[in-house]
Parts: sequence; C-alpha cells; structure tokens
Amino acid sequence: MSKRYVGKDMLKVDAESKVTGRAQYPSDLKFDNCLHVKIKRATYPHAILKDLDINRAKNIDGVVDIITAKDYPNLNKFGLIIKDQDVLIKMGEKMKFMGDALAIIIAETEEIALKARDKIGVEIKKLEVITDPLRAIEKDAPPIHEDLSGLCTDYLKPNLNQKNILVDHYLKKGDVKKGFTEADLIVENEYRTQHIDQLPLQNESGYALYDDKKDEIKIWAASQWLHDTQADVAQSINMSKEKIRIIQTAIGGAFGKKEDVSVHIHLALAALHTQRPVKLEYTREESMIAQSKRHPLIIKAKTGVSSNGYLTAWSVEVIGDTGAYASSGPAVVHKGMYHCTGPYNVENIEGTSYAIYTNNTYGGAMRGFGTTQMAFAYESQMDILAHKLNIDPAQFRYQNAYITGSVTPNGQKLGKSVNTKRTIESVIDLAKWEGEINK
Amino acid sequence: MKKQSENVKDRPRTSGRDFKQYKYFRPKSKEELIRIINDFQKDLTIIAGGTDLLVANYQKLYEIKNWLDLNLLNEFKNIKMFDDKVEIGSMVTHQRLSKLDQIKELFPVLHQAAADVGSPQIRSRGTIGGNIVTSSPAGDLLPPLLIYDAQLKIISGEGSRVVDANEFFTGPKKNILKEGEILEKIIIPLKEEVYRGAWIKVGKRKALIISSISLALNLSIDRSNLIKKARICIGSAAPVPLRIKTAEQAILKKELTEINIEEIAQIVSEEISPIDDIRGTAKYRRQVALNITRKALSEVTNQ
Amino acid sequence: MKITLTVNGEKREVEVKPQTRLLDLLREDLGLTGTKEGCGKGECGACTVIMNNKLVASCLVLAVQADQSEILTIEGLNCQDELHPIQNAFINKGAVQCGFCIPGMIMSSKQLLDENINPTEAEIKRGLSGNICRCTGYVKIIDAVKEAAHKMRSRGEDDV
Ligand SMILES: Cc1cc2nc3c(=O)[nH]c(=O)nc-3n(C[C@H](O)[C@H](O)[C@H](O)COP(=O)(O)OP(=O)(O)OC[C@H]3O[C@@H](n4cnc5c(N)ncnc54)[C@H](O)[C@@H]3O)c2cc1C
Ligand code: FES
Ligand code: FES
Repeated sequence: MSKRYVGKDMLKVDAESKVTGRAQYPSDLKFDNCLHVKIKRATYPHAILKDLDINRAKNIDGVVDIITAKDYPNLNKFGLIIKDQDVLIKMGEKMKFMGDALAIIIAETEEIALKARDKIGVEIKKLEVITDPLRAIEKDAPPIHEDLSGLCTDYLKPNLNQKNILVDHYLKKGDVKKGFTEADLIVENEYRTQHIDQLPLQNESGYALYDDKKDEIKIWAASQWLHDTQADVAQSINMSKEKIRIIQTAIGGAFGKKEDVSVHIHLALAALHTQRPVKLEYTREESMIAQSKRHPLIIKAKTGVSSNGYLTAWSVEVIGDTGAYASSGPAVVHKGMYHCTGPYNVENIEGTSYAIYTNNTYGGAMRGFGTTQMAFAYESQMDILAHKLNIDPAQFRYQNAYITGSVTPNGQKLGKSVNTKRTIESVIDLAKWEGEINK
Repeated sequence: MKKQSENVKDRPRTSGRDFKQYKYFRPKSKEELIRIINDFQKDLTIIAGGTDLLVANYQKLYEIKNWLDLNLLNEFKNIKMFDDKVEIGSMVTHQRLSKLDQIKELFPVLHQAAADVGSPQIRSRGTIGGNIVTSSPAGDLLPPLLIYDAQLKIISGEGSRVVDANEFFTGPKKNILKEGEILEKIIIPLKEEVYRGAWIKVGKRKALIISSISLALNLSIDRSNLIKKARICIGSAAPVPLRIKTAEQAILKKELTEINIEEIAQIVSEEISPIDDIRGTAKYRRQVALNITRKALSEVTNQ
Repeated sequence: MKITLTVNGEKREVEVKPQTRLLDLLREDLGLTGTKEGCGKGECGACTVIMNNKLVASCLVLAVQADQSEILTIEGLNCQDELHPIQNAFINKGAVQCGFCIPGMIMSSKQLLDENINPTEAEIKRGLSGNICRCTGYVKIIDAVKEAAHKMRSRGEDDV
C-alpha cells in the first residue's frame, strides 16, 4: 500500500478552481446565438412506433426544427461493446425502453423546446413489456431485439429463449461434482439485487458546434471513454473520426454512468442540422430514465463445505438484467460471475452467467462492475454456512481466505499483495469483534 | 469584493421578455390581498415558500398564469402569545418554529417536527401554511397540529371562518379550502395542564426525507396526576393524518404508569389504513406503527 | 418585471420573468455559474446560496422573490486572490473531488459557521444535511469544516 498517498490529505491541481466556482462544467459554458435541444422519448417501454405528429410542435414560434429518423435514414446504431442502440426510433420500428429517443427538438429557448416536446403526438402499438429477466428467457417471450442473434455458447440450456440472451459465459475450475461429494454440508440460496443509479451530481449535459470551414463537429460534454465516444459518434452519423472532436470539460461525477454515450450524438446531429451552437442538458429524471444503471443480478449460489469449515465446491448461476441495450452488460455480468467466491479459496467451481435483454433501463458500468452484487451473495453464503457449522464467521472467513499462491476462479495465481487475512484481522480489531480467531 | 461585471458583459439576457402577459402580485397588507383575490380568484396561484409548488411545477412554471406571493405579508409572519392561545401566522417558516424557545417550551412536538423537516435550505423557506395547504399525508407538521387541537383561520373575499385542523384534511393532498380562500393563521389553545409529548419520524434516512410513517403524541396530565386528555396521531399511514381515537380513549383517566403500552400499540397498528408505496409496504407500516407507539409511550411514561 | 438586489456586494438591476428561478437569474443572467443545478427540486443542495443570511436552495426560489434581497454566492466568498478559510480548508483537506457539490457545500458551511463558530461533528452534519456529495463520502468535507472553524476561531474573525 502506498504510504505516500493513502490516508493522506492530497492537494489536487484543480481544487482551487472548484472551491471558487470557476471550474467550468459542461452546462457552465456559454455560446452566443445558442439553440436549445430537448429529446422526445418513448411513451411506452415496449411498442411499435406507428405515427409521430410533429406539425403542431413545429408551428410553435421559436421552434427551429424537429429531427426524426425520417430526416436521417442512414444513422447507424451505437453502443459501448455491441452496437444495438438506435439514435432515433424509426417509423414502424420498436421503442424498447422509456429512454429511447423519438425526436430531437431544437428551439430558440429551453422553454419553447419544452412546450414543443409536449405537443408531439405519438401513436404506438403496445407490446408485452418484459421487466423480469426470468420472463424474458421463457420460450414464448417476445424477442426484444429481433435483428440480433445472441452471442450464446453451446453451454446454454436448451429450454431457454436464446433470442433475449445477449451473451452467456461459462466458468469451470477443478471438479465441482467431486467437490460437492466431499462436502459435509451444502447450502443453496438465491439472491437478488436491484437497479441502482450511479447518480453523479451533475446530469448529462453538453454543447456542440459545427465548424463548416473544417467540416468538423465539436462537442463539449463529459465522457469516461473519450476516444470510444468520439468513434461511436462518428460511426453513428457516418462521419470520419477526425471530424468529431470531444472536448472534455470538468466532469460533475460519473461512477460509470458517463461511459455510455448520452447527449453526444443528438447534439452532433442538432449542430450539423442547424449550423448553430446547440445545448442539451438532461434533467435528473431524464438521466435516471435514459442512462445506465447498476445491473440487477439474480444469483443462485450453491456452496459445499467440510465439517471442519473448509470450502470444497461452489457453483453459481448469474442472471443479469441488462435492460434494453447491451452497454457494458456483457462484461459486467461476466466479471460478476468470476467473483462468485469473493476473496475465498475454493478448489472446485462451476458457473454460468447470462446477460438478458428486458424493457428496463439498460444496465451499464458502476463502481465495482458486477462484483458488489456478487459480494452480497457470497458474504451471505459465508454467514449462513458459518452459522450452520457453528463456527465463528470471522474464523470461517479467515481460514478460507486467499493467500499468496491462491488461484482465483478464472485461474489467476495470486502472486503478491494478497491482504485478505490482514484485512480480516483489521476488521476484527476495528469492529471489536468478540470471537477469537485461530491464525 | 470581486467585480462580477466582466463575467456578465456579453451575456444575452434570457429573462425579461413577455412579462406583461401575466401578473405577479405581492400584497403587503391583508386588505390588498383580499382585493387581489376578489379580482383574480380563478387564475391565481398562491406561493408561500414555494418548496412544494416549485417542485410540483418543475419545468412548467411558465404555465402558471398569475402569481400571488404571500412573502411580503409581514402580518402573516407573526407569532402572537395570549393567555389562552398562541397564534402562528401561516407564513412562519419551519426554521423559525424550530428555533423559537417559546414554541419549544409550549409545543415541543411541533418544534421537533419542524426541526426534522427536509434540510436547512427547505426549513428556511418552507412555511407551516404551505405544509398544511399541501395536505400531504406525510406533511410533518400535521400530526403535531392535530394533537394540540389546533384551529385554522381561513380568509377570503367573503369573510373568514375558523375550522378544527382535524376537520381540514379530506384526502391525500385534498382539503376543504375553496378557490379564493387563504389560510391566515393557526390558533393553538393553551391549557393549564402539564403536557407530555413525543415526536417520532421514520424515514429511509435522517435528513431530506419524506416520512414513511410518523407519530405525534400528547398527554395532558391534571393536578391529580391523571391523564385528562390524550392525543395520538399517525402521519403517512392513511389518506389524512389520523388520530387514533380508540387508543386515546383507552388512556384516559389513568396515571402514566397505568398505561398498557402493548394494548395501545396494538390498537394503533390495527386502526391505521396504510398503503404500499415507494416509502414502504402496508405491512411494514403496521409493524413500525406498533414499534413507534411502544417507543413513544415508553418515553413519556418512563416505563 | 424589474428587480433590484445585491449580489456579492454589488447592486444589480435585472429584468426577470415570473417563472425565472433565482438559480437561472444567477447562472444565466448574471453569469455566476459557480452555483450548480443537480436536481432542480431542492434535494441535492448544489444550488445553495445565502439569501438575507439564510441558506436557500436557489432552484426553489423565484427570482422575483429575491427582489430587494442580499445574495451571497460562491463567487463572492473570496476577496480578489485571497481565499476564504473555508475554501482553503476544503483544498487542504482533500475534500474536493469532482467538485460539483462543492460550491453548495461551502455555502452551507459558511452559514453554519456564521451561526456557530464552534460546531460539534453532529452539528456539522446537520448543517450540511441539505447537500449531497456523491464522490467524497463526506469524511473529508467534515474534516475541512472543522479545520476552517478552528482557523476562523483562532483568527477571531467570522468573515473576510
Ligand atoms: C427537498 C424537500 C424536502 C422536504 N421535506 C419535507 C419534510 O421532511 N416534511 C414535510 O412535511 N415536508 C417536506 N417538504 C415539503 C415542503 O417543504 C413543506 O410541505 C412546506 O411546508 C411547504 O411550504 P411552502 O411554504 O414551501 O409551500 P408552497 O410550496 O409555497 O405552497 C404549497 C401549496 O400550498 C398553497 N399555499 C401555501 N400557503 C398558503 C396559504 N397561506 N393559504 C392558502 N394556500 C397556501 C400553495 O398554493 C401551494 O399549493 C420537502 C420539500 C422539499 C423540496
Ligand atoms: S438543484 Fe437545487 S437542490 Fe438540487
Ligand atoms: S465532490 Fe463530487 S459530488 Fe461532491
């Protein structure tokens, strides 16, 4: 552990600009002659767009234009890992969650843009709304993405609806059958975690400007993946990467939420369309509806242990609700599974994980990337086992803890900096834990 | 002090247009207030601290036609003490209620409830009148007002009327106030007996939280140490703040130590009519109602 | 509608609409973008300013309601190049991360210390209870307020 920084009060280069209010976050910028952008979003979580009436809205004084998919028929889908998200929902196609964009309203003032947004008429044909991933994988559930073939492997159980499975993963270490045979006690439980919003204090927000001399779009907006965002914007509107500049302002927090594209593509289109500076700022509600969440996971954990309290086998099935779009889902659910035993040593492990499409807001990155959900499951398993074995839960953890040389579920041999035991010792100290541990 | 002007020079003025369309009234006296109400009754939106109104109308404030702002009505900000009553103007803020020693002494439950509202930023603006007129079942000042038998003075172009706070609320965010009526003040009677009170607010965290359930309790003890009057009121567990009259009856004419806490807690838990919502399930609320009644009664009786 | 108010010691005359919030007036019309908007509904405290010596959420105050008032925003806290002790303490204690909550946090700290120059930890927490910080976990912010209080006490002054 670095003694120079950890636990110290660090002076930060930008702190002064932030305590004086001088630091400029995206919404603090100012452009002359700037237009205001609002997004008309889905009116139902799963429905076919039948008609979009923008005439009444367009006639409002001060509305500059309203962009729909009709105006830009060649837009490409975007997404962090898999490009499955529409920039604008096309007529006759489906909205898949409440955040899907139907139209981009551009007006002289924010107020006019809001008024116009509320005047847009939307006609839809409702479809079954799937909010439960377990429903999504039933054979008769309607597919959320008709056009995608899932990235499923051979391990997949044959009775599952492959259409709504974005991706599955399989994990195997040792011989789990043997491990469970050796166990004196087996505990099996199901754990569920919920959606969590990362809630960075600043909402998604930004400006864009089209420079006609250079044929270049500049976007001032926060991104955790500057170059990925640049590339994604470019490909989605069919421009070359060099023509898109993302300018990073101060960022009002992110915690994973700003890994995904948010205001960027809509801003780029609006700037291109009007050739004037444009501003788009989400409200808190909009940020919650339209941008990623921590994945809710359903974790089925089965753990075997010997009567003297050593873990012999662990199997896990992880079902991740990735919502309407992939975002970081394939990686998050995958990584979560790899952490199924937490910091505890188990010889024999088996795991499967599925990231599943539903009509919920899509799951993305959030601090821990799937591992915090797993911690809820494995630490609960450890407590339950300790209780059943009548062993001090601290002792039980301690004697199963990783040490140098331990091998993780995915086969990584831990070479250095393995502080699990020391951590448990400190916790016992700090918590004034009454039990004794046998070192 | 740093000059800001340089910051501002080239900024286009975004406000200021189309003000003529609608009116913004800021009466300074009751007479002026009544005149405005008589003239504009229909399209008038009343604003006190704005902490409910501005939230409810977020991003559509422009839809509001004519505003009636009560903030310059100094006479509505008074707290007046009499021998037999205290009058609290409707424009008194939570901050003042929670900082005034007299309120703390006379009505500790109201004082504590006001101190628990929202945050410093909300308490500095939010008013007792706004809390009452919003009439949310979770309005934190409502149970305290009910246990102190508060009355409300309502004025309008036609005159005035005084109603019991207990009769004022008719449903979630509904009350008996008619168009063109203004809540002028809250009148709380003062009695000679000794008060023993408790306030418990349960929410998902300690600050900035709407109550999942709340309890206000007040027992008046007479000279012979008997409970002369009992008031138990639960918030957020029915369409309106709810007095539990069966429980109140069961406590009467007893000494503090004679109260059967378990029995009363049971009654309270059964008499409320909670719903499942984002702040908790009905089942949870019944259980917590039981627990907080137990806790409040133990506190006041030292049992 | 024309209103007159004093912002950070400067007298200002501004035309406002009835629906203009104090927050919009400060950020848009006066260019004081140090005051932030995180929710627009009184929940986060990023928009906190001091109005007539009271802490307010400027997203829940109409600009018209600030007529004749005295407003202090984060931009008015330091004189020229010298930072206010609270600002210094936030820097020194490493209490600033993304910084979006910080102007509001500092205004709440200022109001708290104006009222009580020797607050307990519980009083600090209560004073800052209307401000959400998603980055820091609050520990260093509370440390900073303690340090600022200490500095301000030993200097025997409550304002710069
Ligand atoms: C972040 C936040 C936290 C909150 N926390 C709490 C809490 O913990 N507990 C709680 O109880 N409340 C809470 N509230 C709600 C609110 O602050 C209170 O209800 C407050 O007392 C409302 O008063 P106001 O003066 O701001 O009302 P306003 O918003 O000005 O008015 C509310 C309504 O009452 C009407 N009105 C106001 N005064 C009068 C009058 N004298 N005569 C007739 N009509 C009138 C208005 O027209 C409006 O419809 C919170 C609000 C926010 C934004
Ligand atoms: S923006 Fe005002 S409290 Fe959040
Ligand atoms: S420093 Fe980021 S929210 Fe407080």
